Amino acid sequence: MRFQALSLLLLLGLASGRALALELGERLQLHGFASQSVLQTSANRYFGDSEKISTAFSEIGLNLSYRLDARMLLAAQVLSRRAGDMYDGEPTLDYGLLDLRLVSSASRIAGVRLGRIKNPLGLYNETRDVPFTRPGIFLPLVYFDNIRNQFLSSDGMAAYATHQGASGRVDLTLGLGRPLLDTNVEWIWFNNDYDAMLVPEGLAWFLSLWYSTPDERLRLGLSSVGSDMNFKPELGSGLPSGSIGFIYTLASLQYNARDWSISAEYARVPSNRRGLSAIVPLPDQVIEGYYLQGSYRLRANLEWMIRYEEGFSDKDDRSGEKLASYTLGQMPAAGFFSRIWTSGLRWDLTPQLMLRLEYQRHHGTFILSFRENPPGSPMTRDWDVWAASVSARF
Amino acid sequence: MRQEANRKQAGSCFILLGLLAWLPGALAQDLVVNAEVPVAALSRNEARLYLTMRLRNWPDGSAVQVFVLPDDHPVHERIANQVLGLYPYQLRRVWDRLVFSGTGQAPVTVQTPRELLERVASTPGALGYAETATLPGDVRPIEVR
Repeated sequence: MRFQALSLLLLLGLASGRALALELGERLQLHGFASQSVLQTSANRYFGDSEKISTAFSEIGLNLSYRLDARMLLAAQVLSRRAGDMYDGEPTLDYGLLDLRLVSSASRIAGVRLGRIKNPLGLYNETRDVPFTRPGIFLPLVYFDNIRNQFLSSDGMAAYATHQGASGRVDLTLGLGRPLLDTNVEWIWFNNDYDAMLVPEGLAWFLSLWYSTPDERLRLGLSSVGSDMNFKPELGSGLPSGSIGFIYTLASLQYNARDWSISAEYARVPSNRRGLSAIVPLPDQVIEGYYLQGSYRLRANLEWMIRYEEGFSDKDDRSGEKLASYTLGQMPAAGFFSRIWTSGLRWDLTPQLMLRLEYQRHHGTFILSFRENPPGSPMTRDWDVWAASVSARF
Repeated sequence: MRQEANRKQAGSCFILLGLLAWLPGALAQDLVVNAEVPVAALSRNEARLYLTMRLRNWPDGSAVQVFVLPDDHPVHERIANQVLGLYPYQLRRVWDRLVFSGTGQAPVTVQTPRELLERVASTPGALGYAETATLPGDVRPIEVR
C-alpha cells in the first residue's frame, strides 16, 4: 500500500506538470502509469464487492530502461495491481530483462532476451495491465484474467527475428521459461485452494508469429504457450498428486483505419489432467473463446467501442450442461460459458490523462473467479457491469 | 521533399503545376538528422523502422536517438501521415508496447519544433523532423523515397 501511495504521488506530480517522460540523459528512461477503476454489478462478485460499489481495481506500474549501446537494452517494471480478492496490490516484478541485438539492418533484425519476459501472446498480453494499451477497462475474455499468471510471463529466454520486405513485416519470437504460477491459477483449475502446491513441471514454451502490412493497417498473429504443472499435496492432506498440461493458442487479427479499428481474436486451450479425478470430477476440456471489437474515433481523443465475445469451459459443451452434470449440481451450467456485450467510451483529456466509461451485459459466469465466488455461493446467470476509470501516465 | 521538388522541376508540366498549387499552403516537411549521421536518404520502410523505434542503429552501428513532438501536435500529425503513412495513434501504440513490455524505448518527446531542432543539432545520431525552410547548420534534411 505504501508503494501504491508513493507511486500515485509521483505520478500525479509528473502527469500534472508538463513532463512527458522523465528523461534522465538520453539513454535512461523512466515511464509509469496509474489507474483507478470504480465498478458496480447487478449481481455476482467481480473485482471485489461489486454488488455495492467496488474500487478494488487499480494498477500502478513504474519502469526503467537503460540503453547500454545500440545493441543492448536493460529494462524492468514493477507492477502493483489490486483486483478484488485476487490481487492485493503487492508490488511484483512484472518484467526484468536484457535485450541483446545480434542482427540489425533495415531488412533483418534479430536478437535474444534474457530474464523475466512477458509472453508475446495476442494483441494485448505483453501490456495487459497498462490501461492505455488495453481495448477497454476489462480485457477480452480470451485473455482469461481470472487465471492470468498461467500465461503472463516467463523466467527464461526468448529469441526474436524480424524480416522487413516491401510487402510487409514478419516478426517471430520463440522462448522457453518458467511460468509464475499463483493461488489464482489453483483456484481456477480446482475450484478451490487446497493444501497443495501447483508447481511448473519443466519449462514452458511460447511462440508468436506476426505479419503486418508496411503501413501497419493489417496485422495478423498466431501465438501459443504450452506448459505442464504438477499438483503437489502437502503430506498428510490425503489429496492425490497429479499434473495438468495445456497448450493455449491465440489467433489475432487487427485492421486500423484512420477513424476506426477492428480487432478479433480466437483462443483455444486444450488441457488434460492426470491423477486428479478424485478432486476434479470433470473430463478433459478444450477451453475456447473469441471476440470481435470495433472502435470508432469520434475525435482524435474520443473513442467509442463495442465488443461481443463468447467463452466456453469446453468447446463441445457450449450450454455447460454436460459439465454441470459432472459436478452433481454443485455448479450450474451457466458457470461454464459467458456471452458478453461490451460498449464503452475512451476520452484522452490529454496525452497523459484518460477517462473511460464502460457497460457490459453478461450471460453466464464463466469469466468470474471462484476465489471471489466460491462454489456454493449464489451466482446469477444474467448480470450487468457498469464501470468507470481514470488513468494517468508519463 | 525540397530535393524532390528541385529534381522534378524539369519534368512534367502536370507535376510542376501540382506542386505550385500545393507549395504556397505548406512548408517543406522533412525528416532531419544531426549533421554527423552517415545517411543521406531513407526508404519509407526504413523511416518507419526508425520512427517506430524498432531499428536502434544507423548502418555503421552507431545508436539512433529519435526526437518527436507530442502526439497531438499538428507537425507530428503531418509527418506521421505524409512522410510515414501512419496515423499518430499507430505510432503511440507501437511505442507503448515497447516501453511497457521492456522490449524497447520510446522516442524523446519535446514540446516545440524549435526545441526539437536544438536537440537534434546537439545529439549525436539524432533523428527528428522539421517543418521549416531554414535549418541550423548542424541539422540537415534526410530524403525519404
